[in-house]
Amino acid sequence: MDSIYSQYAWLIPLFPLVAFLIITAFGRSLRATSIMVALTGSLIALMLSILVLFEQMGSGEEFSERFTWMTIGNVQLSMGIEVTHLTSLMLVVVTLVSFLVNLYSMGYMKDDERISVFYGYIALFTFSMLGLVLSENLLTMYVFWELVGVCSFLLVGFWYTKPEARAAAKKAFIVTRIGDVGLLIAILLLFWYMPDHALDFASIKNVFDGQTGTIAEGITTLIAILIFVGAVGKSGQFPLHVWLPDAMEGPTPISALIHAATMVAAGVFLVARTYDIFEASQAAMNTVAYVGAFTAIFAATIGIAQNDIKRILAYSTVSQLGYMMMALGLGSLTGGIFHLFTHAFFKALLFLGAGSIIHAVHTQNIQEMGGLGSKMKITAWTFGIGALALSGIPPFSGFWSKDAILSTALDHNPLLFVVGLVAAFFTALYMARLFFLVFTGESRSKAHAHESPAVMTVPLIVLAVLAVLAGFVELPWSGLGFLGGWLLPGEEVVHHGSELVMVISTAVGALGIYLGWLIYVKGTISRDVVSSRVPGLVKLLERKYYMDELYHAVIVVPLRGIGQALQAVDDYIIDGVVRLTGAAAVWTGRAGIRMQNGQVQTYGLITAIGLIVLIVVIVGRRFW
Amino acid sequence: MLSSYLTMAAILFCIGLYGALAKRNAVVVLLCIELMLNAVNLNLIAFSKYGVVPSLTGQIFSLFTITVAAAEVAVGIAILIALFRSRGTVEIDEFDEMRR
Amino acid sequence: MLADLPVLSLITFSPLLGILVLLFLPKQRSRLLKVTAIAATLLPLILTFWLYANYHPEVGGAEFKELSTWVEVPVNKETLAPGVTSYMLEFQYHMGVDGLSLPLVLLTALVSLMAALASVHIKKRWKSFYIWFLLLEVGMLGVFLARDLMLFFVFFELTLIATFFLIGIWGYFNREKAANKFLIYNGLGSALMLMAFVMLIATAGLTYVQTDNTASLIYSGNYENLLSNLTNPEALVNVLPEMLGGNNPFYLTDGVKWAVFILLLIAFGIKLPIFPFHTWMLKVHTEAPPAIVMIHSGVLLKMGAYGLLRFGIFLFPEQAREWAVVLAVLGVINIIYGALLAMVQKEFKLVLAYSSISHMGIVLLGIASFNEIGLQGAVFQLVSHGLISALLFLIVGSLYERTGTTEIPELGGLARSMPFMSGILLVAGMASLGLPGLSGFIGEFLSLLGLFDTMKWLTVIATIGVILTAVYVLRAVLAITYGAMPERFITFKDARLIEAVPMIALLAFIVLLGVYPSVLTDTLQHSFDVLINQLNARVGG
Repeated sequence: MDSIYSQYAWLIPLFPLVAFLIITAFGRSLRATSIMVALTGSLIALMLSILVLFEQMGSGEEFSERFTWMTIGNVQLSMGIEVTHLTSLMLVVVTLVSFLVNLYSMGYMKDDERISVFYGYIALFTFSMLGLVLSENLLTMYVFWELVGVCSFLLVGFWYTKPEARAAAKKAFIVTRIGDVGLLIAILLLFWYMPDHALDFASIKNVFDGQTGTIAEGITTLIAILIFVGAVGKSGQFPLHVWLPDAMEGPTPISALIHAATMVAAGVFLVARTYDIFEASQAAMNTVAYVGAFTAIFAATIGIAQNDIKRILAYSTVSQLGYMMMALGLGSLTGGIFHLFTHAFFKALLFLGAGSIIHAVHTQNIQEMGGLGSKMKITAWTFGIGALALSGIPPFSGFWSKDAILSTALDHNPLLFVVGLVAAFFTALYMARLFFLVFTGESRSKAHAHESPAVMTVPLIVLAVLAVLAGFVELPWSGLGFLGGWLLPGEEVVHHGSELVMVISTAVGALGIYLGWLIYVKGTISRDVVSSRVPGLVKLLERKYYMDELYHAVIVVPLRGIGQALQAVDDYIIDGVVRLTGAAAVWTGRAGIRMQNGQVQTYGLITAIGLIVLIVVIVGRRFW
Repeated sequence: MLSSYLTMAAILFCIGLYGALAKRNAVVVLLCIELMLNAVNLNLIAFSKYGVVPSLTGQIFSLFTITVAAAEVAVGIAILIALFRSRGTVEIDEFDEMRR
Repeated sequence: MLADLPVLSLITFSPLLGILVLLFLPKQRSRLLKVTAIAATLLPLILTFWLYANYHPEVGGAEFKELSTWVEVPVNKETLAPGVTSYMLEFQYHMGVDGLSLPLVLLTALVSLMAALASVHIKKRWKSFYIWFLLLEVGMLGVFLARDLMLFFVFFELTLIATFFLIGIWGYFNREKAANKFLIYNGLGSALMLMAFVMLIATAGLTYVQTDNTASLIYSGNYENLLSNLTNPEALVNVLPEMLGGNNPFYLTDGVKWAVFILLLIAFGIKLPIFPFHTWMLKVHTEAPPAIVMIHSGVLLKMGAYGLLRFGIFLFPEQAREWAVVLAVLGVINIIYGALLAMVQKEFKLVLAYSSISHMGIVLLGIASFNEIGLQGAVFQLVSHGLISALLFLIVGSLYERTGTTEIPELGGLARSMPFMSGILLVAGMASLGLPGLSGFIGEFLSLLGLFDTMKWLTVIATIGVILTAVYVLRAVLAITYGAMPERFITFKDARLIEAVPMIALLAFIVLLGVYPSVLTDTLQHSFDVLINQLNARVGG
């Protein structure tokens, strides 16, 4: 079967773009219309994406198309789109979550006077993210990569009057930019080392896959690691994770869309897209795996000690992204993408649920909530499903994807397997803490909580259903690994369905939840059992290992100091020399004035002296 | 023979130069300028008599110089008197109006 | 119809028509004066669009050439060689356009119109303001179109004088000081430039013209002659010895070449500005009226880069290539130094001034790369920075009109009362920090891409600038537009129509170049093809 819809995949990003343009041009005056425009745009994009996905799931061929963007000398830089199995999957994830978030925001942002601006930004983001997903080459991807970054920046700083939002937006942009520079250098390297300066993924695959040695191993490793630096920035991996929790200053639907489901997963997607480069270098693979594993456990521990509901979820996102990276680093492309896929749904669900809670109680501090389970039944149930999925309890989707990662880890690197297990335990613990503190016990909130309107609960239900079902696309028994077989056609998919791993990971998850239940519901274990014994540790976790302070002291302050020092150099030394030159001319003039005293005799004397000097010089030269 | 004339002229010229540059009384300065002129006259005559190509031109020239010098002194003295009338002094360093 | 006329001269001197009309208008009728001036700047823009539409990149604009003798001086008859009937020094009226100058002419015409629109904030002596303004435009257009050294110099000086008065009379509080510093610093640059030009004319400027019964040797500043003499010195040297009986006046030694190249580098380096010759432009940026800074930052600085490319790089590619590392290091210093200083400024106009220094560093990087990608990147960056900084200063002018200050600590939260202008400011900032989809990215990316081929480490260091740019741009822009708003700003009105139109127009061009860069790169293609081929032929690629 020929690909019919895939040829028109370029239309998918176009609808949100048109929506954005319409809203920007006319939106300010038309609130309701702009919402409808954005909603329609994302709905059409969703439908088209689903058609494309079905076609790709059938026997549709992969499709790519490009046009020349610039011709310079004999080099051509092009832009293009490409529809592969992976991109069609991502298309649906992005458009689906985007559509649900659009719907949800109708309720959540109802009272905001700049709601049309908000919808405009979301439309722009959806456009950029779809462009990123569809990119045929690295340059196109970089363009959209930056655009999603800027949309994230705009939306984090949406409530621009709040100083925290301003700072968070700035931080989000700058920290990810550090990563972007890594990606930029990787592109420069690839451009000059690839035959014919090709940057498209197909050529990259050909060059690196064949192991023909076209590109030296050191360069390969360097390129891979630089690409990974880009991914580290975008996907909030250690040490560039600091922006993601702060980005929670943005409206909650944004946190669900951008900072949980789609944009932060772009790093994982990037690594997956250029996976052949990574596979060509074991060092790069190890780097990815270890950074991912460290991030997973590092962020999970911080998550335990936070009190802001969105920050807990943010650290959880960082941790889960670490999982995905670890899977990729261990050589399991399927595992990484599978987790990305399930995580997009249950994390979006959790964030939207958190939004529903915040909407009801007007606080983000979980210590000030409690007992919401009875008042907000739909939110509580759906949130619970999300939490269970995240904690890796069967048969929810998170269990299957986490299991895929953990069994790969057991095969390749037992150390990382243990790290993954510990992180999973912490994950279950902080989710249990979050859930029990918010939904059970006595109400500690002053606000009169109530269930959110239908526009907000419907997306929750849809996502909850997906959070349950999404795991079944890839079951760990042979013959049931649909996703893996589809993503990597032609390659032998060996999936070790190890019952042992399943039992252990379920047990670890259940243990975490049980411990949380003991502490926060039953009270068998005192809440401050840790903080009373080792207060330093709790403080350390609460302060996020002092990473922000460290960066402030090591980077921000010295940089500002250098700036000030250079300012002094500029003002006093460089401009000083300039002023000195000017002053020297003035002084020479002054000396001239002094000679010009109006006394004829002085003039005569100077003339005479000058004459004598002249004579001496001229005559003297004869005898020289 | 020539060299003694020239030496004499040089000495005269130097005295004149010194006076013209160093004396404060304008009358003395004028006199010193005359002295320098005369040193030049002396040179002219010496060269016209003992020079490589002796001729009368030098002597005639010196006559012209003397005439012009006389005229110049007359004008100079006239200016000096006018100045003395208006300023009450002939001290030369009092006169720097042109600079202002 | 237009094709038969001397279009280049028409473009250059069409603002004079405006001056002529202005002279007859009463000086209190500010509205009438403004409309006339705006109409006068519209003329060259329309003509330039026509030129762009009729320009064929493959040919390189040779059909538009205009050439006639301007000043002729006979020299030194005694050295006449047998067979040579006359021996002349000649300055020509020689105008031409190619892929390098066309985008800059377009930029000049466009920015001038926008600046004329932005001049609504001028409060006094409109008549003389617009006269100087139009003279400035004549000078700028002439600089980019002149193909004779002396003609170039005349136009270059015209811009200096016009800018001097525009800053000195209509600037802010320290305007006279700023104007003086500007004039003296740039005058120094011009002196060095003149020195270099004289040396060039006296050596490589020699041509041998033979007709039926005359044979004349002519020294001239004709750019094409210089280029062919310098690229192919043997041709002339071989003819001359017979003429002059072994007495060869065409002695352009390597030493002279180096001297001229370095003189030109300093002369245009001051204009660009290259660190450490940058302090003069800080004063200009803070003291000149915003409309003039738009022109200054948008076009006048580009004259430095243009001169460096046109005379430094095209005429002395070997010397320049040998010094490529020096140029690149200077570029990196410019980038990092400008960015670090921009980060700590409290005055928004100074942030923009230092950011200009930083962005001009990217131009140097592109030049230093000596491949087509980098060189096109450099020119692209010129045009893009011209548009972006014009837009930024347009906004600064409108902001100052309302707030009465551009000190960052005193501003804040303006997005609330002026959402439109704040939005434009944010987009302009994004363009300045190189966001893809806007023009800044293309110039930056191409320059870095070009340089990476030859100097990997320097490129990597330069990319730090990419991060720092984001830091200082966001710091300044967010401090102005985001955050809480002081009470006194609540009544401010957003941009009026006359302010909004140029903003949107400039933004449209920035987006156009960012989304579809081929409109610019295709015109550049030919000129750089020629240069690179020449260079490769002479030194071997």
